[in-house]
Amino acid sequence: MNKIISNFLYIGSGIGLTLKLTFGGVFIGIIGGTLLSVLRHNGIARPIVNAIISVLRGTPLLLQLSLIYFIAPGIVGFRPDLLSAGILAFGINSSAYIAEIFRAGIESLPKGQFEAAQALEIPRFYTWKDIILPQVVVNIFPALVNEVIALLKETALIAMIGGMDIMRRAQTIAVEQYEYFMPLCMAGIYYYGLVLLIGFVGKKIETWKHYAKNS
Amino acid sequence: MLKIRDVCKIFNHTKVLENINLDVKKSSILGIAGPSGCGKSTFLRCIQKLEPIDHGTIECGGRTGFMFQDFQLFPHMTVLQNLTYAPTLKNKDSGKDYKKQAEGMLGDLGMASKANEYPNTLSGGQKQRVALARSLMTQPDILLCDEPTSGLDVSTTMDVVALLQSVGEQFGITIIIASHDLDFLTKISDRIVLLKDGAIAVDMDPRTDGAPIDFLKRYY
Repeated sequence: MNKIISNFLYIGSGIGLTLKLTFGGVFIGIIGGTLLSVLRHNGIARPIVNAIISVLRGTPLLLQLSLIYFIAPGIVGFRPDLLSAGILAFGINSSAYIAEIFRAGIESLPKGQFEAAQALEIPRFYTWKDIILPQVVVNIFPALVNEVIALLKETALIAMIGGMDIMRRAQTIAVEQYEYFMPLCMAGIYYYGLVLLIGFVGKKIETWKHYAKNS
Repeated sequence: MLKIRDVCKIFNHTKVLENINLDVKKSSILGIAGPSGCGKSTFLRCIQKLEPIDHGTIECGGRTGFMFQDFQLFPHMTVLQNLTYAPTLKNKDSGKDYKKQAEGMLGDLGMASKANEYPNTLSGGQKQRVALARSLMTQPDILLCDEPTSGLDVSTTMDVVALLQSVGEQFGITIIIASHDLDFLTKISDRIVLLKDGAIAVDMDPRTDGAPIDFLKRYY
């Protein structure tokens, strides 16, 4: 029994890294995704942005993570620590998906909202900042919560470059004790619990932040 | 106030506006009539520069304001914020408080109690008034109204007639209204221009011509 509890606690101590990677990645992803989706409306930047998004969505996240952790040091001259590399890789990858979520959100807004801002002579920057994005964020919030959940589960890839997250700790116990079922179930319980928690908090924010969308 | 010369607008190889020539006098109310798809809204959008024109010139002797058919109020802002946001942003260095001006305008339009409400809580007629007030806050010289009575009942339509007429007189602005509602247009306009297939088919004064509605209906 003691062994089960100590294993459970050992695996649980990886939550910190998992959450740092998730929320760090989402933070970068939201900034990058917003930037990409706004730049997409610029005629010159559009093909470049589309190419970036296409590559990020079309190649494995593990490959991007490995490139940043193993190859980038040869280019930039220093090796990022594991947490920074993870946050950067998950963030960059997530920005492509968040840009797509934003695109759907922007396209769901009536064109008249842009035109009303134009007719009122509101400068482009403020049109995006104060008119378009606040409405888009409310509309896409459920999809953003889904992205956070997806990213939380994808952070398990950090185990491949040695990060001691929930998954890696479960694998370590499995290898040490020749027992796979229990540690993997424990990891599953942690992930599922975190997913439920994020979903719950997301719903609360959604309800609090809601207002009718039709003017 | 407004000089339009040889204006053409083409969408996908179709001429939506064809050689439009028009002079609009200051402080007048011009009605743009015509069947659906005749180019009324496109005409207004070209004046507002929401659509580029393919040929001709539009000389505007002042600032334009635009009232959209579906209002396009900003749903995440209160009525008061809808009114004050653009002028405050535009003149942020002047330090002028637009809140008082907006509250006064809402009071004039009978909307003072709705200042802190969100647009989704308002009726069609109330949204109409807010949209009008928002346009007026930018102090336009020409107010362009796209189908201002669409979806409104008869009594609210009559309110809109009275409202636009009083706004025109009070602020001395030129009003151009695109509408398919001939009854509404003949009541409110000093002059009616009827568009058919993108060209001006009729240019008349509804107050001097005998039975304007019957006359205009022939072109539908």
